[in-house]
Amino acid sequence: MTRQRVAAAFALVGLGLLSWGSYLGLWVAPPDRYMGDVQRIMYVHVPTAWLALVVFTLAFVYALLFLIRRTWRWDALHEATLEIGVLYTALLCIQGALWGKPTWGVYWAWDPRLTTVAVMLLSFAGILSLRHFLDDPLRRASWSATATILASANVPVVYYSVRWWNSLHQLQSTPKTVNSAMVEPLRINAFGLLALTIALIMIRSWIAEARRRRDLAPPLPEIEA
Amino acid sequence: MMALLHKEFLLAWRGRARVAASLTFAAATLLMFSFSAGADGRLLQRLAPGFLWLAILLASTLTLQASFDAETQDGALDGLILSASAASIFYAKALTNWLFLAALGFVLLPLIAALFDAQLGALDRLMSVLLLGTAGLAAPGTLYAALAGRSRAAGLMLPLLYFPLVIPALVSSVKASELAFFGDPMNQWGGWMSLLLAFCLIFWSLCGALSTAILEDG
Amino acid sequence: MTGMIQGGWEFVWAAYGITGVAMGIYIASLWIRWKAEDKSE
Repeated sequence: MTRQRVAAAFALVGLGLLSWGSYLGLWVAPPDRYMGDVQRIMYVHVPTAWLALVVFTLAFVYALLFLIRRTWRWDALHEATLEIGVLYTALLCIQGALWGKPTWGVYWAWDPRLTTVAVMLLSFAGILSLRHFLDDPLRRASWSATATILASANVPVVYYSVRWWNSLHQLQSTPKTVNSAMVEPLRINAFGLLALTIALIMIRSWIAEARRRRDLAPPLPEIEA
Repeated sequence: MMALLHKEFLLAWRGRARVAASLTFAAATLLMFSFSAGADGRLLQRLAPGFLWLAILLASTLTLQASFDAETQDGALDGLILSASAASIFYAKALTNWLFLAALGFVLLPLIAALFDAQLGALDRLMSVLLLGTAGLAAPGTLYAALAGRSRAAGLMLPLLYFPLVIPALVSSVKASELAFFGDPMNQWGGWMSLLLAFCLIFWSLCGALSTAILEDG
Repeated sequence: MTGMIQGGWEFVWAAYGITGVAMGIYIASLWIRWKAEDKSE
């Protein structure tokens, strides 16, 4: 019961901070000098990007830990971070497209960061569906951990190659305007999303663990009296 | 290791009907690409290097898949793993797949030249791109084929995992081939080849190290 | 104020809306899955 209280506390703190930060970002912060009101997308986009990176880094660490230590707990955490990371990168792409249309004029550009995130989304979504297609818990754990390590090793290579591939028509990245009224909602949202993410990872890993226990020892059929 | 390689070559030789079929498949995809791009000769010529690599990539999913069929069908892998290390099994398979894919690329070259009226400018450069690029495809492809072959929905799993992983190899192979086809005024060929080489080194070593987890678990 | 992008609120609302709804659906799905697993144990 206590661990559920901890997760609930993290989730509530996270949701509270996110509402506060988004309120500041949407209504209090001034519009950006160049980007105007579109800049407000950044208050949700940048924290999502940070947390997506954190979550996928964790996925890599958990995958490695599973292969070294061979403990089911790491597999449950690996599954949790995979699913949440895929959710965040999918949101990241949508938010990026919605920011790109009014500022760049297009929903999608072959910017190295954008493209790398799309490749990450594809790679990890593939690993997530691989887990659905493997019934044996040991295979599921160890094979998906292998795939996660390969996909993570690939991320810098993808970034580097796409940057070079597209070097002739490189797009301008966001101009950095430092203004406390603009930094504050960013920071609050980032901490809020961090707290919420901790709660989500905890809960999702319990689900994974419960399912694995069920897979290894399915409940016995009831005997009719 | 030599015995394993011998076994692989023997298997490949017995499956030569499959080799012919995958060659036909690659040629068919080339035709399909041209029909989808339209009858603009200049455009087709410009797209030829990309089409070459797409044809190799698509055909590779079939041949990679087939490379583990003999072992998974009757559980022979469990016996094999007792007598040889996972890494040596993996490298024997990856080497065979590499040779096969490189050969496929060489056979496709004259076809590309004829279909798209592409000048095979620097043939020595083109050969080295084909060798290195197919090496980049073979290592991760073989590892994922080992994994996909023993999961449900095998045909779906291999491309789903393998395509996103080989994007850097594909990008640099296509770029290096373009430079070999159309000339290299800014002297970038070496750069793309080093990137490709780095990709090959990373994944040939990493996949070998991780093959234990794939071949021995389950 | 020259050079500033005017308007674009619809994109801002869409970004926040989609993110909020997606997170809401995900949290709800976690809740349902957790309850289901909790009951079966």
